[in-house]
Amino acid sequence: MINQHLPEIDSINFKNIHKLLVNFIKEEVGRTGANKTVLGLSGGIDSAVSCYLAVSALGNDNVTAILMPYKASSPKSLEDAMLVVNDLNINHYTIDITDQIDSYFNKSVYNKSYYDNSNLNFENKFKENNYDLKLRIGNKMARERMSILYDYSYILNSLVLGTSNKSELLLGYGTIYGDMASALNPIGDIYKTQIYQFAKHLGVPESLINKAPSADLWQDQSDEKELGFTYSIADEIMFLLIDKMYKPEVVISMGYDAAIIEKIYNKIKKSQFKRRLPLIAKVSQRTINIDFRYLRDWV
Amino acid sequence: MDLIKLSLAQIAPTPGLLDYNLGQHLEYIDRAKQAGSELVIFPELSLTGYFLKDAVYDSAIGFNEIINKNIAADKDNGENSNYGNTITNKNNEIKEQNNKKINNKNNEINNKNYEIKNNSCGLDLKKSNDYILDVLLDKSREIAIIAGFVESDEDFNFYNSTCCLSGGNILHVHRKVYLPTYGMFEEMRYFKKGEEFGVFDILGTKAAILTCEDAWHLSSSYIAVNKGAKLIVINSASPARGIEEGNDKFSSVKMWEELLSVIAFYYKSYVVYINRVGFEDGIGFSGGSCVFSPNGEKDYRLDYLDEGLLNIELNLDFLKNERFKTPILRDENLDITIKELNSIIGHYKS
Repeated sequence: MINQHLPEIDSINFKNIHKLLVNFIKEEVGRTGANKTVLGLSGGIDSAVSCYLAVSALGNDNVTAILMPYKASSPKSLEDAMLVVNDLNINHYTIDITDQIDSYFNKSVYNKSYYDNSNLNFENKFKENNYDLKLRIGNKMARERMSILYDYSYILNSLVLGTSNKSELLLGYGTIYGDMASALNPIGDIYKTQIYQFAKHLGVPESLINKAPSADLWQDQSDEKELGFTYSIADEIMFLLIDKMYKPEVVISMGYDAAIIEKIYNKIKKSQFKRRLPLIAKVSQRTINIDFRYLRDWV
Repeated sequence: MDLIKLSLAQIAPTPGLLDYNLGQHLEYIDRAKQAGSELVIFPELSLTGYFLKDAVYDSAIGFNEIINKNIAADKDNGENSNYGNTITNKNNEIKEQNNKKINNKNNEINNKNYEIKNNSCGLDLKKSNDYILDVLLDKSREIAIIAGFVESDEDFNFYNSTCCLSGGNILHVHRKVYLPTYGMFEEMRYFKKGEEFGVFDILGTKAAILTCEDAWHLSSSYIAVNKGAKLIVINSASPARGIEEGNDKFSSVKMWEELLSVIAFYYKSYVVYINRVGFEDGIGFSGGSCVFSPNGEKDYRLDYLDEGLLNIELNLDFLKNERFKTPILRDENLDITIKELNSIIGHYKS
């Protein structure tokens, strides 16, 4: 079998992909009459790539970055985000989200009256610093950031630009209505491995390219540790499962680890709900998104 | 020298905004005319946009009444067309009367109907889309036009159609035969399929229109050239897709250009490919409209992904030369083909 691997974004195909994504932003943003975007800049590679594309498409005056650190965020994240802001010379706002996150979780933990009928011991859970609570705080942070982005979307009359790549969208490694929420996403069909290749050609600062991928929701978090496999192996497998539409047993026969394939396949299936709009119970003759079918670009 | 001057209008139609799209057409028509072209060609569904979904219902143009009038007129005069909905362009009294009616109507609607409407939904709720044909027919007195639209017939069927207009007449309407309904495509959900690949006379030669997926079935171009087509117009709305290492084109573009070269070379014809650009719900159309000569070489090409107008000249002497040197078509054995086809059909029936 020839060419059965994830294609690399190289100096030859880069130009075409770049043009497509720049045109995508230009046209889909322009169509709304807004002509401007706002995005959360985390200091990671994905939001950096979205940001460089947005500036290529709309110009630096029309792109605003929002930096939203939490007290536990790595200081390097903020530094790296500022590298992008300065390199592209774009407007930015820094909004620390510690107060609202801590306020919510302190209240939850210490206000016992909330949980009179509950067997859950939130106080202990918080102290134990267990994974569930970390995840809840992480999700809450992602949604807090989303809510700030949409507020700035209103203030700045700008569309929220998505920063989720194809790998995390497929694996469900993101927060529904949090970092997965946006008006349009230029990088959602590009695997993480390809994002790195693309970033090099885009001229994203080395400091962002050379660090381990992390959602940075808590200290020393690592995507690959949490997922239990590397992006480079997962992306190859997902390319075969999704893009090539090969069944898992075929991918196993091609020499990939069966346990990892199974894990990935299950993650993709279990997270399908995150990639779709809420279900609507059909009652009428014509129901939104079931048989009321129009493009979002419908005019 | 036997030259045909034509223009390819690689536009980005907005889905469902017919008034706006018509405005785009008129702008490109004028530019093509100024460049001295005799024919301007637009992409598939150029007047309506491609992924219309339920908006197919709102975007249709009722061509059939006018077509039927034309066919009736031809029949009255004993000019029965050879190929179904192919319509001869010889003038006659009835057609002239129709045209006069259309012209009078045009004087009223010209200059006001094809501007973008300022109302919130972009539609003029008070009128049907049929005036668009009138405007284009009127324009076709200055330059021949090939454009794509949603056609509705008297039985309320919808077609993915392409019309060729010239001298105020409808020369030909091609209803797309092969309607892709797989992957991202769902044409069969909305459209009825066409029944034939018609050949028509234009600019002193014979031409056929194949719409996008039609061309992927090699039988379509086989039929067209054996019916006498020397100019194969392929209009499409092809989404850019597929990354390849070391390839500066999307996979879809590479496959298209290989196909066009094969059709041009082995059927010894000029292949004119006109593809749209722009985005619909994140899907980008690749553009790259181009012309392949009967030697299989790409003669002209517009940029990928950008709007543009390409003014070109096709040299029919060159086609004659190619057909003389490599007479594949002359030697084509239709009897064997039909015999084999009949046996295949018989085999499946039994």
